[in-house]
Amino acid sequence: MSATQARALSVTQFMDDPIHFFGQSYTRMHSVPREELEELQRRAMGIRFQQHYDSIEMLRKLADRLEITELIEFNDVVPLMFSHTAFKSYPPALIDKKRFDLMTKWLDKLTSYDLSNVDTDGCKSIDEWIDRLDEQTPLEVITSSGTTGTLSILPKDKRGAEQGMVLWKICLFQTFGHEPTEQDLNPNVDVIWPNFASGKLGHLRIANMIKRGFTGGDESKFHPLYKGSVETDLMFLASKMRAAAARGELDRLEIDPALAARKDEFIAMQARQPQELDAFFTEITEQLRGKRVFMTSTFHLMYDIANAGLQRGVKGVFATDSAILTGGGMKGVALPADFMDVITEFLGVDRIQVGYGFSESSTFHWACEEGRYHVMPWVIPFVLDPDTSEPLPRTGRQTGRAAVYDILLRAHWGGVISGDEVTVDWDLRCPCGRSSVAFEKDIIRYSEKKGVEDDRITCAATHEVQNEAIDFMKGVEL
Amino acid sequence: MSGAFTVPLFLRGRVITDDLVSFGTRSGAAQFEAPDMGRFVEQLPLKNPAQMTDLYDVTFDEILDVLEALGDALDFDTNAHLQEAYDASLVANVLPAEMLKNSYQVLRPLFSRAHVLEVADSQVGLEYLNGWVPHRLLDGRELRVRAFGSRVLHIPAGNGGLVSAVTILRSVITRSDTIIKAPSNDPLTAIAIARTLADVAPNHPITKHLAVGYWKGGDPAVEEVLYQPHHIEKIVAWGGLASLKHVTRYIQPGLELIALDPKRSATIIGAEAFVGEDTMREVARRAAVDIGVANQEGCANARVIYVVSGTDAAGLADANRLGEMIYEELVALPPFISTPPLYPDRDLFENIETSRMTDDFYRVVGGEQREGAIVVSQFDEPVDYSPMLSGRVANIVPVDSIERVTSAVNTYTQTIGIYPESLKHELRDLLPLFGAQRLTSLGYACSVAIAMPQDAIEPIRRMCKWIVDEECDPDVVIPLWRTAGAART
Repeated sequence: MSATQARALSVTQFMDDPIHFFGQSYTRMHSVPREELEELQRRAMGIRFQQHYDSIEMLRKLADRLEITELIEFNDVVPLMFSHTAFKSYPPALIDKKRFDLMTKWLDKLTSYDLSNVDTDGCKSIDEWIDRLDEQTPLEVITSSGTTGTLSILPKDKRGAEQGMVLWKICLFQTFGHEPTEQDLNPNVDVIWPNFASGKLGHLRIANMIKRGFTGGDESKFHPLYKGSVETDLMFLASKMRAAAARGELDRLEIDPALAARKDEFIAMQARQPQELDAFFTEITEQLRGKRVFMTSTFHLMYDIANAGLQRGVKGVFATDSAILTGGGMKGVALPADFMDVITEFLGVDRIQVGYGFSESSTFHWACEEGRYHVMPWVIPFVLDPDTSEPLPRTGRQTGRAAVYDILLRAHWGGVISGDEVTVDWDLRCPCGRSSVAFEKDIIRYSEKKGVEDDRITCAATHEVQNEAIDFMKGVEL
Repeated sequence: MSGAFTVPLFLRGRVITDDLVSFGTRSGAAQFEAPDMGRFVEQLPLKNPAQMTDLYDVTFDEILDVLEALGDALDFDTNAHLQEAYDASLVANVLPAEMLKNSYQVLRPLFSRAHVLEVADSQVGLEYLNGWVPHRLLDGRELRVRAFGSRVLHIPAGNGGLVSAVTILRSVITRSDTIIKAPSNDPLTAIAIARTLADVAPNHPITKHLAVGYWKGGDPAVEEVLYQPHHIEKIVAWGGLASLKHVTRYIQPGLELIALDPKRSATIIGAEAFVGEDTMREVARRAAVDIGVANQEGCANARVIYVVSGTDAAGLADANRLGEMIYEELVALPPFISTPPLYPDRDLFENIETSRMTDDFYRVVGGEQREGAIVVSQFDEPVDYSPMLSGRVANIVPVDSIERVTSAVNTYTQTIGIYPESLKHELRDLLPLFGAQRLTSLGYACSVAIAMPQDAIEPIRRMCKWIVDEECDPDVVIPLWRTAGAART
């Protein structure tokens, strides 16, 4: 094999199978010399762009309009980046009118997979539609709720979901500086999921992925807070309600008859929630006491659980080597300064890990001991001017709008601009020893910074939002 | 840190610039200083309602004289107060210089004798303002009704100096005692008018019943003291959902809110627009003005435009062609009417770029330089980001029939610009049921008159206290005591 062939091979493996490219080692992922990594990233980006130019119509149209035919330097990709709006650019009326054939046609232009043969005949709800896509295509679509009352629909794929879970395990159970042991690679844990057991929303899809990835499908080791699922159609209704309220048209909101028929079922589910919460609490503090667990939720939910636990005199609940992952920012929730101490005291674990990511990209970036979110090697980070979206220099300390190009994304285009203000110190060599570029600790949504009321339904608010929709249904004659 | 400019406190004829503290402007770019209102708030309200008697010694003729003199003195080229206000709004407001200057040039005619008379007579009635109007009821009693002024606090909007001028005009003709909270995005216009008033009518009762100052909206040190029924009887609040919601916490028996809610406006264009190239051009020109005036910062500006073009291929072609024409007319508007926005909304343009990529459903004309844009829906629904439309961006929505255009109207609707007139007649009994408050000829959405109801209420009548004097002659009006006496025997 010539040197060129070897290089070509390594780029292909780097971009398609980074897990084995890095020998399943978290340490190696963050130990590639900066220049060497950037060279790999540039070439991989160029190749992925050519693939996606051919296979993703919306990208092709944008590139053609901007007359971009190849990507050589990092900044070349910036004009081609999608904003979060790209994934909800379908007319919401298509869902009201059950035109899932047209929804499929729309989604087809956003994904690299061919959806032209998907059969949507007789589809009556978003969840049904997504189930069809699950059955008939490599996609595993996730939804997330947006600011204008339209659901984002992200064409993720099953392969990425599987890879993602392996990567989570790598990041969660390994320690930087230590090559993985067999036990690190195949941990045996119970999963605590303080949320609904299932659903198509971004973080709820993860529930199934986690179940598959962490418990080998053993249902008894999966411990959700609520046994039920969040219906995407109910979330769509909640989004529509918010949009209608903003427009002053709540009086004319119509509820889909199929959803309305299930009103009593939803109300019963809502009524069960307090008991479910009690049962969940007993389960984690008694049945799972002292066990090694994996638990993940947002800061504020984790804090609420910890606080409630301490008030009941329960603390130091889990095995010290448990994996705890939190994040999600401080969106709209004021927590006391010592909230992390409260969480740690209750859980009784050695470390709590924190991650940063956004749903349009698939990769999560784990924080190091210094609190910096180190960017995973297949993701190229950018700091953009917050207003013009022009890239800021990749030197010195820069604060601006976060954007990433995620090479690993195959099902949809990997260039996305976030709504978050981040700081990157490009010249920093982090004292933690990781060679990778990192986002500094303080990340804030621009909408929060402006003090604008952000009606984005965050994952933290799912519970409230679902209840909002059910309460609305209670209030209308169906 | 000293600010870019100072917003003095105008206290019933006195101009105060002591105890200055710093504030940020609405755009966040600059700061200004104003007297610490916490120290002056006790002096803002009238000490005693009896002090309003002097306003009733002033004849309406004299009111007209004073306002006319005020108008004459509000000449932008010679009035230093206005020029100062203009300089301040250049840093405090999002609108460009030409447009702000223009907003001061329209003040003078507002205070002309004929205009003040028209407003006073049509919106209250001169006889009610100036005396007791007799009226005999069926039961025989003699009524005399008079419109008294009240002690009113105004929280005007800051998009254009006209709002401050109208506020003062309404206050003076109703013989009200007036406190104006200056808006941070137009901090000096009301004060400039007040100072001009003090120049032309020093020590006049009208001048002594006017106070204008700035405090940060929501400052409890000021509002909890001032917003009390023993100090003020009514609050007139314009725009801003947050600020309106904030004010409502102070409303209680004895303190009434006159809410000029935040609003949006829409446009309906009938099939008649497409009869020929010239008509289409004329319609485009009118629509462009409704969109473009003052860069679409106002509540009356056109945003979503329903077009009865049909949604078949020919109909869409018509709608798209109209979209192109409106765009051409929009960018050709002169700078005193409309310019590319100084601070375009990034989130909005992100949505527009996405619509541009989604060409199955939307056609986007312009917008690449954020100069404004027309988004033409290719089916009969508006874009989901329609509440964000601003900075000269409109959404054309083709529909098959006028039954569909009621969608243009909702709880938050103010003005509907309509073409042609016949369609307006057809719709005028229907649209108000859904929320429309003002129907006007296409192209006039933003030329708002004062001598008419506003936001479906009559704010000037509401600013008055309607007092009744009854005279009951026992021989005519059946006296209860006699009935009672008869029942005893």
